[in-house]
Amino acid sequence: MSDASPAATPGSSVTLRGVRQVFPGGVVAVESIDLEVAAGEFVAILGPSGCGKSTLLRIIAGLDRPTAGAVTVHRPDAGRFDTAYVFQDSHLLPWRTVVSNAALPLELRGVDRARRREAATAALVKVGLGDALERYPAQLSGGMRMRVSLARAMVTDPTLLLLDEPFAALDEITRQRLDEQLRELWQSRRMTVIFVTHSTSEAVYLAERTVVLSKRPGRIVVDRTVDLPPERVAELRATAEFARETRFVYEGLERGEA
Amino acid sequence: MSSTAPLRRFVASFGPPVVVLVAGMLLVELYVRWANTPIYLVPRPSKVLLTLNLEREYLVAALWTTTKAALVGFGASAFSGVAIAIVLASSVWVRRALSPYTVFFQTVPIIAIAPMLSIWLAPGLKAVSACAFIVSVFPVIANTLAGLVATDPALVDLFRLYGAGRAATMFKLRFPSSLPNVFTGLRVAAGLTVIGTVVAEFLVGELGEEQGLGVVIVSASHNGHSDRVFAAVLLASALGLAMFGTVNLVGRRVLANWHASARD
Amino acid sequence: MSTRVWTRREIAVLLALSAAVGLGCKKDKEAPGAGSASHAKHLSLTLDWVPEPEFGGFYAARESGAFGTHGLDVDIKPRGQGETWKLVAQHVTDFATTSADQVLIAREQGADVVAIFAVYQTSPQGIMVHKARGFSKIDDVFTNPGTLEAEDAPWLKYLLRKFPGSVVKLVSNSPGIASFLAKPELSKQCFITSEPLQALAADSDPQTFLIADAGYNPYTTVVIARGEMVRDEPETIKQMILALREGWRAYVDDPAATNAVMGKLNREMDAHTFAESARVQRALIETDATKKSALGEMTTERWQTLAQQLVDLAVIKKAPPARELFVSPLATP
Repeated sequence: MSDASPAATPGSSVTLRGVRQVFPGGVVAVESIDLEVAAGEFVAILGPSGCGKSTLLRIIAGLDRPTAGAVTVHRPDAGRFDTAYVFQDSHLLPWRTVVSNAALPLELRGVDRARRREAATAALVKVGLGDALERYPAQLSGGMRMRVSLARAMVTDPTLLLLDEPFAALDEITRQRLDEQLRELWQSRRMTVIFVTHSTSEAVYLAERTVVLSKRPGRIVVDRTVDLPPERVAELRATAEFARETRFVYEGLERGEA
Repeated sequence: MSSTAPLRRFVASFGPPVVVLVAGMLLVELYVRWANTPIYLVPRPSKVLLTLNLEREYLVAALWTTTKAALVGFGASAFSGVAIAIVLASSVWVRRALSPYTVFFQTVPIIAIAPMLSIWLAPGLKAVSACAFIVSVFPVIANTLAGLVATDPALVDLFRLYGAGRAATMFKLRFPSSLPNVFTGLRVAAGLTVIGTVVAEFLVGELGEEQGLGVVIVSASHNGHSDRVFAAVLLASALGLAMFGTVNLVGRRVLANWHASARD
Repeated sequence: MSTRVWTRREIAVLLALSAAVGLGCKKDKEAPGAGSASHAKHLSLTLDWVPEPEFGGFYAARESGAFGTHGLDVDIKPRGQGETWKLVAQHVTDFATTSADQVLIAREQGADVVAIFAVYQTSPQGIMVHKARGFSKIDDVFTNPGTLEAEDAPWLKYLLRKFPGSVVKLVSNSPGIASFLAKPELSKQCFITSEPLQALAADSDPQTFLIADAGYNPYTTVVIARGEMVRDEPETIKQMILALREGWRAYVDDPAATNAVMGKLNREMDAHTFAESARVQRALIETDATKKSALGEMTTERWQTLAQQLVDLAVIKKAPPARELFVSPLATP
């Protein structure tokens, strides 16, 4: 379902040069990371636990500053620049309704009530929650809550979407459904997506390019394009090409653990 | 069927404690009669109930006076406590500098403070409710503050990401997120308020028509009427229970939609 | 920050300290009257206030050896206020001081306490006001607007009865004179031997009206004992009364040395105020009546009058026979 509107958002490109992050106490999370993500690209980052994937994502988001190195996020459109972040837990405000939660980023940016409610409703409809607008998070399942979190991320039409293992806590079926939903959103908006995951099959299914980090201190071990057709359908997972791609990634992970 | 369900719920929640109360009073009555305890030490529960009935006008008037002071004190605690906690939560340095002094509220002996208060404010309602406030504000501050600083860090990050200022983060995120803690603090404060009010009345309460339960207790004690003392104590306990119960109920309403703690 | 486990030595030290504290406490709690090698009878006397000239004769009886010559070893325990008659009735103490109206209240509640000695023939209970208000009699306290700090005691009930159109606002009594100093329109209950003198020392302008002058004059600072002790140990009671007489005689004649002793126990009152207080109270303790009988003596008439007053004020229900209320070696029981 691709959005034919000519105002479709081009994404931000991201450049990291020599990024190094040391935590207080001397623990080196990541070591000399060089990475270039092109505008509109869908990149998956994988690696063992503690390898610094989340750290990298936070640095890209601007939530943390690196100890050394440079991070640049290029604005495609001066003044119209938004980064969105999706966490592993949906992290919704439990005292607000679903639509109010989805509208939160616009509310914080000062958008008036009518406009933000409209945008939030549209985003929620896109993720299939059009009839849950006035419910409270406590009344939703885990999968629905994650979809609200996604809608919230999309509501500002972000140029850069960062996701940190967002579907890891969900069951397999819901996870695959949300993977498809995410990919649809990307195909219709073409923002830049950087997706951190543990799952090789998820990475290969979703991304155009996979980056594998070694164990701590994290370094880039593998950085390869995923050689699969651009139309990803569920049946793809059963094919030999899919298995081959996941094996490449898996081998990269093994090398990184060594 | 649906008309009896609320009645059954009422009986189920109030029944057991009432049974315990009645059984307890029966036991005390029997023991006191059997052991011949002097009435100036422990009055017979039956006499206490009799006094409650015979002197109900007098006692209920005193209860009303105490209630007024307790409500003023509690209201002050609730609002100032939350406000102080918000101020303390806003800055690490302010918190470090000032939090130790909030403990002052916890530890100051009312016996020392009450006479001073009755000089600055007038004795009676003003001084009494000021004491009630001093005695009950600390739990509100402590619990609210704990909730404010323990706000979900991921949400704080999210707010930061979207450029929210300190005020927006405090009032749209931290404060609502700490409401369960606020109510915990208010529950504790409710009981303490009543204690503080009654004790303050011992020290700086008004005698005469506007006397509160604390004054009744002291006067009755002075004149050897232990049954009246206990009757007044029972009423004070009932007040404490009522305030606690109200806070609980309000808490459940406010938190109904979103918090597991409301699901009881 | 880790909490490490206590070492054995620390635990041993803590246990030893606890044992020492426990033993120390135990010593204080030895029951009154417990025997020892000496012949003197061990007794306890609990005071209903802190050491002041109000209790001078008791300390003088101890210091001058009057207790000793009468075969008594009396432990004097000052206390804050409280219903001391309960302590006597419950065997917590052998003797205590209280006021005569409390004796009647106690007895109606079933506590068998009996008065054996009355320090004040004239009650020092009064109301102090600021001289600047220009009051000339106690009535003015009630007929003028202002605030009166007082306990809800029988004497207050008596005065409110006497002045039914009272416009004064009543509030609980606060300890000390701070409120009196701070507020010129405040009247306050007092003992003439105490608060007004403290106010004078603080450069204030107190003026005191005695309740006794208004018609309510119970014996005050009355020593009470258990009724059963009066019945079972009449000799002890008699010796106690004689010792108290000697002690008060000594104190009334020369309070200085005893004041010094009490001054060490009560730091809030300076030596000058101690001396003034002792001087002021002499006329309340030694009156024409006691000159004829003896210090501390009580009469049936006064007890009867008091009992009737309390019945009229609805403080007690029935006036008991006066002979149940007090003991006196000079009177026939």
